[in-house]
Amino acid sequence: MTTRPLPDNGSPPDPRTSDPDSASNSSGRYVYCIVKGSEPVNLGRIGIEGNEVYTIPYNDLCALVHSCPPEPYQSQDQEIVKGWIVTHQKVVDAAWERFGIVLPMGFDTIIRCNKVSDPEENMRRWLKEDYGNLKAKMDKVRGRAEYGVQVFWDSRVMAQKITEESLEIKKLEEEVKSKPRGLAYMYRQKLENLLKKEMEKQADRYFKEFYERIKQYVDDLRVDKTKKAEDENKLMLMNLSCLLPKGGSKRLGYELEKIDALEGFSVRFTGPWPPYSFV
Amino acid sequence: MEPQRNTNATLVDLLDRVLDKGLVIHADLIVSVAGIPLIGVNLRAALAGMETMLKYGIMQAWDERIRAWERNYRSKKESSLIQGEEIILRMLGSYYSSKGIYTAWRYGHFYLTTDRLLLYHGDFGEVLFETPLEKIKVLVIRKAKHFTEKEREELCLLLEGNKVARLSALDVNQLKEAIEKRMKELGLALEQDPALPAFEERAAEFLAEGERVICSGKMWYLMDSEGITDSAWSPGYLYLTDKRLCWWYDFEQRLPLEIPTGDLLTFARETRDLSPGLKKKKVLDVIYAVNGTRRLASFSGDALEEWDQILKSIITGRGVSPIDEETETCPQCGRTASIKELLEQGCPRCGWVSPKMEKAVVSG
Repeated sequence: MTTRPLPDNGSPPDPRTSDPDSASNSSGRYVYCIVKGSEPVNLGRIGIEGNEVYTIPYNDLCALVHSCPPEPYQSQDQEIVKGWIVTHQKVVDAAWERFGIVLPMGFDTIIRCNKVSDPEENMRRWLKEDYGNLKAKMDKVRGRAEYGVQVFWDSRVMAQKITEESLEIKKLEEEVKSKPRGLAYMYRQKLENLLKKEMEKQADRYFKEFYERIKQYVDDLRVDKTKKAEDENKLMLMNLSCLLPKGGSKRLGYELEKIDALEGFSVRFTGPWPPYSFV
Repeated sequence: MEPQRNTNATLVDLLDRVLDKGLVIHADLIVSVAGIPLIGVNLRAALAGMETMLKYGIMQAWDERIRAWERNYRSKKESSLIQGEEIILRMLGSYYSSKGIYTAWRYGHFYLTTDRLLLYHGDFGEVLFETPLEKIKVLVIRKAKHFTEKEREELCLLLEGNKVARLSALDVNQLKEAIEKRMKELGLALEQDPALPAFEERAAEFLAEGERVICSGKMWYLMDSEGITDSAWSPGYLYLTDKRLCWWYDFEQRLPLEIPTGDLLTFARETRDLSPGLKKKKVLDVIYAVNGTRRLASFSGDALEEWDQILKSIITGRGVSPIDEETETCPQCGRTASIKELLEQGCPRCGWVSPKMEKAVVSG
């Protein structure tokens, strides 16, 4: 049985008289994810700010939501936002456990009512319109999870290797020795630029190689933007999101160990996550 | 290798996914979420540590809690500053800062730790100068006169990237020895070339903070007549930095000539007589602009051919189209590449192509 929060009486609020300060308004629906199921279900007060989480079904798909004012959750307080996000993920996890397949939404996806229909109607209408697409996505992620793979390299180790192996750099180093002292600075500048270019090229080569190797052990993968590491010598070379059977990461893990063992490289392996990157 | 999930470190991985990814519902049904990216960035910064946030200069309206945190943080910074490092030496001292119009000696305490040298002003909670020991290339003590003050000793550092730092301290010799000792323990080599320190000391006199010397050398310059003296060939040092071409007159310890690199117009080399006594000398004439008029600077000395090359690359280098030089990050993997390459060939690392290019490939 569905227990709906009281303030919403089911009919759409008149937009002309809507109170802009809608703190007491519950005409929005915060969507956590889409799951497989056809019965209305209530998961209890596990949502953000202790809200009740329940499903809005259409056919054999449900949206998992809680009722809220039709405005995004925002705060200057980092601790509060962190808390919301962790709760969001907890709800998605609970749904994953319970329903088996989830299509997770990002934080702060809130459906509102419009002039014609209430938010529940809107939700059902959207589920209907996008039904084919949503079912296809469900098939794609069934039994699978997302894993994060990040490869780092130590820029000092790499610079050393390249300096030893590049003929062009060796030649330039020899030239520097024979130049008058003042000009040596300009040549050193040239050397630095050359080294930088070589490192970029080398990084490209490694990226492509590792990508091909990792691809063999996953069902799908996405390239994400690299991020700054805390250590200024460690550079992130690649940041991937991989889709593979949940709990079936052994072969991928083994391959990543091989990469981690290479001199100057290190790997971060995270997950399993709900398939955020593949919906 | 096993995947990690519920550690402190993986919170950022979770954030990236919940904030940037997930199923998207089309615009007309959802509430505007314009504020979200800002929260995302700030939160990531907060997780990475307040220090990173300050480093990235993220501006925001901080509420009182965060402002109070910052006050507390700054007062605790000294003790947390040196976390994990041992303090080898602490000494009162100063650093010559030439940032913009504020040129002065700034005072604080030097801390030589196991990994770096820093100058810290406790009351303001400010780090006035800092360098990891591995970036020190040359250490030299020189005598310097400061206006009407008597001569005193200064410690000059040449750092990686051709940066020069001038330091003064209660006992510069003790400071220098302590730094050298620690660097030796770390296996770091200091350059021993005796001539090198000589002209870097000179450069320290006039280099602005962050200015880099590209090349320099001994050079005679035909100085303009000043008052009763005729123009005369004088010995000194020519410096080309990333901002200007200038000539240092050692005898008077000043820069009679200073040309921003943008004002260099052209140059030529020839052989001519400099004076009755100096015949057939190689000369480098540099023509530059000052307020719309053209001026000539003449130099004579060694390595003119190389100066020729360098000046040529500076002057012709300016003709390079900005598109070729300007870089951008690939929207997919974040690799930096020139805008031209990204648009015309795609990302050399992950293969991303711009939508325009994709269309062209499909239809072409």
